Amino acid sequence: MSEATFVDRSPERLRIGGRLAAAARYVVRDRELLIATILLGILVLLALFGPLVWTENPNGIDVGAALQSPSLAHPMGTDGNGRDIFARFNEGARISLAVGALVVLASALVGGTIGLVAGLWRGLTDSLLMRALDAILAFPPLILAMAVTVGLGVGLKTAALGTMLACVPYFARLLRSDVLRLRALPYVEAAVALGATRKRIVLRHIFPHTASTMLIQSAAVFGYAILTLAALGFVGLGAQIPTPEWGAMITDGLQYALTGQWWVALFPGLGLLAAVVAANIYADRARDILDPRGEFARV
Amino acid sequence: MRHGMPRLIAGRTLSSLSAIFGASLISFIFLRLVPGNPARLFLGQFASQDAVDKLVEQMGLKDPIYVQYYKYMWGFLRGDWGFSYTTGQPVTTQLGHRLPATIELGLYAFLFAFVGAVALAVIATYRRRPVVDGSVRAMSFFGLGTPPFWFGLVLLVVFSERLHLFPGPDGRLSIDSTQPPSITGLYTVDALVTGNFATFADALWHIVLPAIALGLAPLAFLVRLLRANLLDVSREPFIVVVRSKGIGRFSAFARHALPNAFLPTLTAAGLILGQLLAGSVLVEKVFNWPGAGALVTDGILRQDYAVVQAFILLSAVVYVVVNLVVDILYGVIDPRVRVVTAVA
Repeated sequence: MSEATFVDRSPERLRIGGRLAAAARYVVRDRELLIATILLGILVLLALFGPLVWTENPNGIDVGAALQSPSLAHPMGTDGNGRDIFARFNEGARISLAVGALVVLASALVGGTIGLVAGLWRGLTDSLLMRALDAILAFPPLILAMAVTVGLGVGLKTAALGTMLACVPYFARLLRSDVLRLRALPYVEAAVALGATRKRIVLRHIFPHTASTMLIQSAAVFGYAILTLAALGFVGLGAQIPTPEWGAMITDGLQYALTGQWWVALFPGLGLLAAVVAANIYADRARDILDPRGEFARV
Repeated sequence: MRHGMPRLIAGRTLSSLSAIFGASLISFIFLRLVPGNPARLFLGQFASQDAVDKLVEQMGLKDPIYVQYYKYMWGFLRGDWGFSYTTGQPVTTQLGHRLPATIELGLYAFLFAFVGAVALAVIATYRRRPVVDGSVRAMSFFGLGTPPFWFGLVLLVVFSERLHLFPGPDGRLSIDSTQPPSITGLYTVDALVTGNFATFADALWHIVLPAIALGLAPLAFLVRLLRANLLDVSREPFIVVVRSKGIGRFSAFARHALPNAFLPTLTAAGLILGQLLAGSVLVEKVFNWPGAGALVTDGILRQDYAVVQAFILLSAVVYVVVNLVVDILYGVIDPRVRVVTAVA
């Protein structure tokens, strides 16, 4: 870890612009964080503004222009049906980032609630909930997502649902142990002694302190969710062709990769790689900053 | 006695059994939700409605749901995993044919991941040069972020199509190689046992790229874990004691730090197995590897879900059992675990 910290005692800290500048300085000083921010920044920009600037239709078939290598007219080339891969890449960034974020939000909400309830109520509720989570954790994560998607019907929505279910235990277990740890701390005892209501203790003294755990876990799960969604798309359970989802685009590129048209599968894979690496770096840094055990706990 | 091994084993076995029960419920429920009529899928679209109805009756699809669950689990336990809808073969036969290929691939991928991870973690921590350590960290980030199916394709394009160093995606052997007699089902082992070195070399040649593609994520995962543990352990007081006894830096590292840093890696074995199981579903498709994973992806495409169902339940059972064995082994190796679990 570098010597940089968020603690900036200059008066400009009070203004929001000053805080942003401090955060930016912090990011620039840390090389890994800088790389992650640039990667994610590019993807977010492409997802938000790509379709506005690069107006080629991502699903526009032009058989005459099939399998062209990258050029000025098609920066990432064209696929077997002459669709512009750059336009599809931007669309794919939208799908992956948006669905990945939704999966994180939903599983954090569900998993967080389960963890909170289990940690607060303990007893029978706790053991029943933990047994249910154990059953989910009995599957290798991708395999569970596959089972759910097969059962509910193939598609992007069901794939997202399956991924979400696979992510829930990771939030729930962490939050439960967090709650169990927090409720035993002296300041909670002090709050009880001062006559604070149960509701106030939970909302004021326990819940806010789980924020850092949730943040770290969200960043890690975000990368994992994007990868799982793409894997489901790749095996044919997620988004279906011609939806420009990165995983499905790689499947489509399989047949061309070994006959010289490497660009069809290459770019969506690079997009995935960038998104997941950025998310993992963020998760790592969040752990460094928020985890009081500091550098010793860095994995 | 309130703690110790018997208690640990009993506790873990019980919780594993309940996890398998829950997992079987989950898979049963989701697999019963599969749209479409299995009898219709099995008989094809030209069969008469009468025949379909009869088969529905035979397959027990009209029984109450708990009877269906009971029959399904009883069949699964006795090795009756149903029939493939498209080929009519028993699922057990199909999976039995394919599993050795997957196991062989998984073993080589694990070998690659394990050897590579130890080497990289040792290089990163022994000298503590920031540049080396930084690049190993960067590699582990990229290894964890790379989709294995895409990485396999990149390997194929670079090393097979461009450089012609390795064979393309044509399965476990070249066409002109003789298939070794089936002893273990692992081609490299069988060929070596029977002294067929040409086939051995060919089989090895074919397994390199898929094993690397499959092993990358476990490798990255292990490197991160080992590196952190090595750093932790080498700061422990007992290492200072060892060094002050006059034992050299290398011996202290190799004989005292490394074995202690390995312990947490054992707990990660279950996670690695999960990565290998799921990864093989993805990687086998890219390399046309005739394993169980490819059977699953094909089954998905042809809507032949009997195979997919069996594979899903089987992986859950294997995963739980491996985690159970690891937990117990951990208790055997590290006595502290026994006491801690007994207290908790």
